[in-house]
Amino acid sequence: MTSHIKMDERVERDRLAEMVQAVIGKPLDRPEGALKVSGAAPYAMDRLPANACHGVLVRATVSNGTLRDMDVDAVQALPGIRAIIADDRLLRNPAQGMAGEAPIQGPKDIAYFGQPIALVVAETFEQARHGAQALKLRFEADGTAIVAPDDPKADIETPEDEQDSTGDLDAAMQTARHTVDAHYTTPGHVSAAMEPHASIAEWNGDRLTLYGSYQMLRFNRAELADALGIEEKQVRILAPYVGGGFGSKLGIGPEAVAAALAAKALGVPVAVAMSRQQVFESVMRRSETDQHIRLAADEQGRLIGIGHEALVSNLPGEEFSEPVTQATPFLYQGDHRVIGHRIARVHRTCAGSVRAPGEAVGLTALEIALDELAAASGIDPVKLRLINIPQKDPSQDIPFSSHMLAEALEEGAKRFDWDRRRSEPGAVRDGEWLIGMGMASAARVNMLIESKARVTLNANGTGTVETDMTDIGTGTYTVLSQIAGEMLGLPMDSVETLLGDTAYPPASGSGGSFGAASNGTAVLLACEEIRQQLCERLDCDMQGLTLKDGHAIVGNRRIALPEILDGSRLVGEGHVEPGKAEETVRQATYGSYFAEVAVNAITGETRLRRMLGVFAAGRILNPKTARSQCLGGMTFGIGMALTEELIHDPRDGHIVNRDFAEYHLPVNADVPQIDVVLLDERDAWANPLQAKGIGELGICGAAASIVNAIYNATGIRIRDLPATLDKIIDGLQSRTD
Amino acid sequence: MSEGRYLRPQRLDEAVDALKGGGWNLVAGGTDHYPARVVEQRPEDILDLTGLTDLRGIGEFPDHFRIGALTRWTDLIEAPLPGWFDGLKQAAREVGGVQIQNRGTIAGNLCNASPAADGVPALLSLDASVELASAGGVRILPLADFILGNRKTARRPHELMTAILTPKPARPARARFLKLGARRYLVISIVMVAGLLEVEEGRVAGARLAVGSCSAGAQRLPALEAALTGQPADAGLAMLATPEHLAGLSPIDDIRADAGYRRDAALILVRRCLADLGGLR
Repeated sequence: MTSHIKMDERVERDRLAEMVQAVIGKPLDRPEGALKVSGAAPYAMDRLPANACHGVLVRATVSNGTLRDMDVDAVQALPGIRAIIADDRLLRNPAQGMAGEAPIQGPKDIAYFGQPIALVVAETFEQARHGAQALKLRFEADGTAIVAPDDPKADIETPEDEQDSTGDLDAAMQTARHTVDAHYTTPGHVSAAMEPHASIAEWNGDRLTLYGSYQMLRFNRAELADALGIEEKQVRILAPYVGGGFGSKLGIGPEAVAAALAAKALGVPVAVAMSRQQVFESVMRRSETDQHIRLAADEQGRLIGIGHEALVSNLPGEEFSEPVTQATPFLYQGDHRVIGHRIARVHRTCAGSVRAPGEAVGLTALEIALDELAAASGIDPVKLRLINIPQKDPSQDIPFSSHMLAEALEEGAKRFDWDRRRSEPGAVRDGEWLIGMGMASAARVNMLIESKARVTLNANGTGTVETDMTDIGTGTYTVLSQIAGEMLGLPMDSVETLLGDTAYPPASGSGGSFGAASNGTAVLLACEEIRQQLCERLDCDMQGLTLKDGHAIVGNRRIALPEILDGSRLVGEGHVEPGKAEETVRQATYGSYFAEVAVNAITGETRLRRMLGVFAAGRILNPKTARSQCLGGMTFGIGMALTEELIHDPRDGHIVNRDFAEYHLPVNADVPQIDVVLLDERDAWANPLQAKGIGELGICGAAASIVNAIYNATGIRIRDLPATLDKIIDGLQSRTD
Repeated sequence: MSEGRYLRPQRLDEAVDALKGGGWNLVAGGTDHYPARVVEQRPEDILDLTGLTDLRGIGEFPDHFRIGALTRWTDLIEAPLPGWFDGLKQAAREVGGVQIQNRGTIAGNLCNASPAADGVPALLSLDASVELASAGGVRILPLADFILGNRKTARRPHELMTAILTPKPARPARARFLKLGARRYLVISIVMVAGLLEVEEGRVAGARLAVGSCSAGAQRLPALEAALTGQPADAGLAMLATPEHLAGLSPIDDIRADAGYRRDAALILVRRCLADLGGLR
C-alpha cells in the first residue's frame, strides 16, 4: 500500500515530533563510514568483472568542425585492441540534470575541444589508453569558432521569459541618495569530485546493467535508455556509493553510453573510467558570469531599487544556463527592479550545474555589491541587510514560508564579535599583515521533487528502506535510517537502508539540496503506512500507537514487534509530489557568513583566519552530516573567493588548467577553523518533515564574506574573482603610488 | 611500434654498463615521470633505478655531507642534520604533498630541472655539487653548472647521478627557504628564495642566496651576497637588498603569475628571508 502526499498546503502536524525513539536530529555517525574509510565500500570501478575489457575515450582537438576520418586500421593492429567505437549514439556532452532524455549525440560534429568522439576498447587499460593516444584523427576545423563570451562576434541570446522589470530602476538610480553600479565577474568552476566519472556496462541478452557514479538514477536510467534507443525497463543502474558529485554526475555522461555500446558490440563487460583531465574536459563546468548590479538606496540605506543582469555562456543547443539571479527577486526589498539574463553561445566545454547553480555565483556578486553600498552609505553591513529584509516576496507578492535571515545575521554578528570590526578599511595591522572582517547573507531556493521509497518491517523486527536514491557523500544512508528508525521505533542498528539501484522505487535523486527532504518524506510516508498496518493488527488508532526500541506500546501493553508480526512482514510505500505550496509561498533557506582575513601588505597574499556560517534550513535531521555539508560548501566558497578559476585558451577555448595542480582548490592549509551554527527552525510548507535543503546553502554567498573582508582589511575592492594575490597587490601598489 | 626496453639493475656497475649505449630514460621516484605521461605515453627505454638501494641515504664526512641519489625527501626531513640544513628541509616539506615526499628523490628533482624545482635554490645556497657516474668514471660538477636551463642539464646520456655533495660551512651558519604560491600548500611556486648566512662575531662572514621560478633555472645573487658580507647580522639586512641585486633574473608571464609580479615578489621574499636569517639568535 502506498501513502501519498501532494504538497498543496501547510502540513501542520509534525509527525516526527510525536515520535519517541529520539534518533532524529541526533548527530549520528554514518553507518557506512567504516566501509568507506577502510576501502570496503565498492565504488563503480571496484565492481570490475574478471572478463571486462577497458575503454578509453578519445577527444576532439578542435573546438568546432567536423571529424572527417580516423585511422582505425593502425590502431586495430596494436596488441590487445578489441574495438574502436565511433557510434552515432555517443554523447556530445553529459545530459543536464533531470533531463530524462539523451543530450545531443553524434561524434562527427565537434562543438568543443575535448568532446569525446570515440572509444578505444582493449583487453587492458594500458592497451586501450595506448590505442586511444595512437588514433590519428582528421578534422575539418571551423577556424572562426567563438570561444569566449566577451568576443564581440559572440551570438548572444536574450530569452524573453528570463527578463523582468518592475517600476523604473533608471529613475530610482538618479534620485537615490546612495547607489552602487558595477560589474562583477566570476570565472568558470568545476565540481572536482574526488571520484572521477566511471561506468562498467554489462549486457545480459537485451538487458543492460550499468555500475556508475551518478546522482539521479531514475533520470539517468531514462537518459541512458534514450541514448541507446532501448526501453527504460531494459536498463538497470547501480550506484550505491558515489565519491562526490556536486552536480557533475546529475545527468548520464559520455563514458556510460560509450561503455554500453562497446559492451554490446563485444559481448563482454566494458569499463570506462575518465582520467582527471577528461573529467575537466568532457564533464560540466559552471559558466563564467559577468554580472551588472545596480543598487539604489535612500538616506537610511533602505533599498528602493535592485538591478541584476547577467551574461553567462553555454554550448549551442544546450537548454541549461546558469540561473545567476535566482535569489535576487526575493532576498531584499526595493520597488524598482530589473532582472536580466543573457546567454552567449560559445565553443567551450558544456556548462551545467555545479553546486548551487545560480546563488553560488549570483548571490556572491550581489553580496559584494551590498558591501559596496554599506561602504558608500556608512551603514554597518549587518544592519544594512537587516533593514532590507522584506516582509513578503517583493517580486511575487506572496508570503515567505519561513524566514530566519534576521536571526542568522544577528546570531552570527554576536558569535563573531562583529562589533569589534573597525569600519574604516586598512585600520588594523599586525606586522606586515592587514586584518579585516567581512560578512554576507546566505540564501538558496528550496525545492521538493517527486520521490518514492519502500520500507519493510521484517518479521524479526528490523526495518529495511529501499529507494533508488543516492548517497553522494552527503549522509543519505544515515538520515533515511534515522527517519525510519524514528517513525518505526527502531534503534539505528535495526534499520538498513539500501540505495543506489534502479530496481528500488524511484527517488528524487541527489541534487539541488532537495534529496534528504524529498526522499526523506517518501520514507516517512512509507513508515506511516506501516504504522497504519500495525494499528490494524493491534486494533488501535494511530494516536494510540507508540513505537520504541522494537516494541509497540498500546495502552498498558508493550509487545515486541516480532510477536505482532508473527512471522510475516509489513511493507509500506511512500510517494511525495510537489504541489501548489510552491506557488502559494516563497520557500528558501537563509543564513549568514562572517570571515576574518589577513592580507599581506607587501605580497598581496590573503590568509583566511577564521570563518563562521549560521544557517536555517528547517528541521535539521542530523546535525553532524548537516554541518559537514556546510563545511564543504564554505570551503567551496573559499576556493571561489581566492583560488579557483578555469582558464581557457583564447585561441580554441580548451581548458588549460585541467588538473588539480593548476586548478587551485583550497588545500587544508588554506582552510582555517570554520564554525557552523544551525538554527532551530520548522517549515510546515516544505514537507511533512518540516526540513529544507542544506547541501548547497553553505556556498551561496560565502565567497562574498571573504572578498568583503579583504576590502575591510585593505580598502581594495575585488570585483573579478578569484581575489588572487596579483590583483590585490596591484591595488596595494596603486594606493601607495 | 616498439614496446620499449625496461631494465632494473641491482648494482651500480650494471647500471652504468647499461647506460653505455645511451638512450635510456631514468626513473627513480617516478613523481615527475608519471605525471608527464598521463596524457600521452610513447614507447621508451626505461632504466629503473629503484634497485640501486646503496644510493639511498645521507652520510657525514669530515668536510661534507653526501646525499645518495635515491634519498627521498622524507628521508631528508627525518634525518638528524645540522641547523644549516634547515632551508633544504623547509624546501623538502614543500615538494608536493607527503606522498610525493615519500617517493620523490632529491636527485630526481635536480635531473628533472624544472624552473620551479623546489630543491634547487636551497641546494644552490648550500653550494652543493653533484656526482655523476659513468662506465668511464666519476665526475663532480657544481650544481650551478649542472642545471643549464629549463629541463636541461649537463648530464650526458651515459651518466647517472649518484650523489649530491654539500660542503660543511666554515663558520656557524643558518639557513632558510621561503616559497610563494597561489595557495598555502601543494602548489607550484611563483617565487622561492633560499638563503644561508655564515656569521662570525655578529657579522655576516659569508652569504649565499638563490631565487627559483624566476628564470629558466634557479639563480644565485652574487652582487647581493657581496653586499651582505661584513654587515651586522640582524634583521636590518633585509633593507640591503635592492631591485638591482635581482637584475639577473628573467621571470616570465604564465598562468601562475606575470613577470612583473614575480620580480616584485622575489625582492620581497629575499628581504623576508634576510630579515628572518638576520634576526635569528
